[in-house]
Amino acid sequence: MRFPKTFRHGGLTVDLHRDWRGAAPVQNSFLPSTAIVLLKQHAGAPSRCLVRRGEFVREGSVLGKPESTGAAQVHAPVPGVVRDLKRVRLPEGGECEAAVIVLEGSFDRLGKRVEKYVWKSMSRGDLLQTLRDRGVVEAEAPGRPLFELLQARDRPSLLVLNGVESEPYLRTEAAVLAERGAEVLEGLALLRKIVSPEETILALDSTDEATIARLRELAAELSPQPEIRILEPRYPQDLENRLLEVLAKGRKRAAQAEEPKGKGAREGGARESGSREGGAKEKASGREKGAEALFVRPSTALAAYEAVVLAKPFVDRYVTVSGGAVKNPAVLKVRIGTPIGDLIEECGGFAGTPERLVIGGPFRGLPVHDLDAPITKQSSAVLALRPDETRKSRRQPCIRCGRCVDRCPERLDPAGLYRRVAAGRQAEAEALGLAACTSCGICGYACPSRLPLVEALAAARDKMEARR
Amino acid sequence: MTKTSRILVGPAPHIHDSQSTASLVWGCVLALVPALLWGVYCFGVGAALVVAAALGGALAGEGLAGLARRRFSLLDGSAFLTGLLVGLAMPPGAPLYVPAASAFFATAFVKGAFGGLGSNWMNPALAGIAFAVLNWPQAMGAWVLPRHLTGVVGISGATPLALVRDKLASGQGGSDPLAILEAAGQSFTGLDRGVTGFLNGGLFERLGASLPQGYIDLLVGNRPGAVGELSGLLLLAASVVLVARRMIRWEVPLSIFASYAALVWAFGGLPFGEGFFSGDVLFEVLSGSFILVSFFMATDPVTSPSTRLGMAVYGAGVGALTFLLRSFGSRPEGTAFAVILMNCALPLLERLERPRRGEAAK
Repeated sequence: MRFPKTFRHGGLTVDLHRDWRGAAPVQNSFLPSTAIVLLKQHAGAPSRCLVRRGEFVREGSVLGKPESTGAAQVHAPVPGVVRDLKRVRLPEGGECEAAVIVLEGSFDRLGKRVEKYVWKSMSRGDLLQTLRDRGVVEAEAPGRPLFELLQARDRPSLLVLNGVESEPYLRTEAAVLAERGAEVLEGLALLRKIVSPEETILALDSTDEATIARLRELAAELSPQPEIRILEPRYPQDLENRLLEVLAKGRKRAAQAEEPKGKGAREGGARESGSREGGAKEKASGREKGAEALFVRPSTALAAYEAVVLAKPFVDRYVTVSGGAVKNPAVLKVRIGTPIGDLIEECGGFAGTPERLVIGGPFRGLPVHDLDAPITKQSSAVLALRPDETRKSRRQPCIRCGRCVDRCPERLDPAGLYRRVAAGRQAEAEALGLAACTSCGICGYACPSRLPLVEALAAARDKMEARR
Repeated sequence: MTKTSRILVGPAPHIHDSQSTASLVWGCVLALVPALLWGVYCFGVGAALVVAAALGGALAGEGLAGLARRRFSLLDGSAFLTGLLVGLAMPPGAPLYVPAASAFFATAFVKGAFGGLGSNWMNPALAGIAFAVLNWPQAMGAWVLPRHLTGVVGISGATPLALVRDKLASGQGGSDPLAILEAAGQSFTGLDRGVTGFLNGGLFERLGASLPQGYIDLLVGNRPGAVGELSGLLLLAASVVLVARRMIRWEVPLSIFASYAALVWAFGGLPFGEGFFSGDVLFEVLSGSFILVSFFMATDPVTSPSTRLGMAVYGAGVGALTFLLRSFGSRPEGTAFAVILMNCALPLLERLERPRRGEAAK
């Protein structure tokens, strides 16, 4: 049985910039002398601050309490004194309150022997409550609280551990799987206990052979055994729509193979129209499954494991520090709230002049200009990019080269949408499928005229959603 | 810690493809340099002056249009490329005001007046060439023989296409175009004899075929013609590089060639008194501006479709119109006008290729 390794339309195979793959194993980063803890590290509104200036906080004590759906608990990543409560601007836009904690006192957990809690006897409700109390949210944008996500997608047909890391430079999930594979899979097992999916798939792309072998061993111990699928590294395969397309197709083929053959023989002339119809059906069923499928990042599964088994709040995560302007790229285990400047310094500082600082991947990450910007629960990477990587050039008019059209994984016409949006013809753009845009960034990457396609389409989509 | 004052904040994506619009244009310019050098070698300094005049006219036109629109656009290279293409399509003996005025018309009116790069609906270089042909038909027929064939600069001689056409019109036909050229007293170079002999002896003989003399001269560019169109070999080599680097799309030239070759093969033998399916495709493709136009002008993304279906239809149209214009038009050459006509049909082709909706929008 051969499964497809990648999605069908558009996409990019780019230099992944992971030559430093064989580098040293993941280190704990230095503890931040000053941690800047945002009270919004999740999809919803900022949590309410529970501490006052000058107050002493212990490691893991609650700093912020959620007041609406989409928000999550925020914990102190280090013990210390709240030196300041200030409003900071968020890289994604808007602003929120942040607690500035100066490291002081002793750690309650760090360096202590940890006790493991047995979760198998815990009820579903208790598990969900624990995830909620420990502030576990998705470890990538948008950062929905995990317990809300699990509640909303109970009994999914498919649970996917999404270890596909298709953005260049990033190897955060790969490192999590390599170093903490056993914990991730135990995290997956406890998520399965909560939502009872019909099927579980581990989707991986560029993970090394040793890790894959180890994960196979570990997966064999789980019951029912999750399927492992190794995909081709191609951007944006990690996006849920594309990943589902690939996985669903494999599932459909497997189902077909089980069916008795007989109607398989088709006339040559009818083949094209036949396969097209088949494609449409597949898409329709894929969309239905999309509503049911649940995707979890290894980082998120690890946080869930630590929250339940180690009773540890979400206060640290794995972060890739890379880009051409970073001297010694590495993956570090970082306390939430650590300023990105500290991490870059720990990786040998800048090599050359950085032109752009990014939190997250180069396609979908958030731009920052401030080395004091802190790591949050969603920060998978810190990138410092040189001019020869960003390859900025002057904006030119559209020359209709069609590269954006060829590469759009959602089969849109980005240049056409952009032209309409720029002319204020929003309704026309919406009729052409504006809503399907995922802001994956491919059109903006490919455009030789460097048109602000992604930005303009995202703004138009916001307008569309605001109207609803 | 390094200063971060130079950090730029901008929306995602934070990395880009290595190609920019300017690099695409300058890449095309670079690819045309070998053909230009061959033209200058064949026709002497006069050819260089013709191209220089065209470049001057194009840049002046772009500059003036830029002034009018208050947008400085000389450095994006597109005006330079337009000027170069106009110059390369000129006969080496054209008076200098012809290339200058045509290139000026191309950038100032056809491109600049409509809003500059990306807004023109007709390929500016081809419009410039058409402008010259219509205004100075005599000057546009000032062909000369390459000097290394005659030893002297500036001996006039008709292009192979024009020669064959004249002979056919005056009833002095032959069974195929090369026979007519030979009958008209055109001698083949030693290079042609050598290579043809080598190919026939070493390769074609075993396949039971034989290559007549003359094609190698046409391929290399030992013939009269416009400054840059002579050497199909150099132009094809440059095109291969451009296609491999994805700087031009291969679909357009392939489709032009397929449709033109099919028509020539089917009907091209008729004027020579031969039956159907006996046309000389190789001669027709190699002896005019076909290669230059189909690889470097018809592929202009601004004035060609951007999807495969559109490109296929567009190319087929160009090929068919070229055949019709060359067969029944008043001039031996028709490629440029064929592309211009298909440029005009672009809005219709666009209708063909839309809409392309996202799944979620249904």
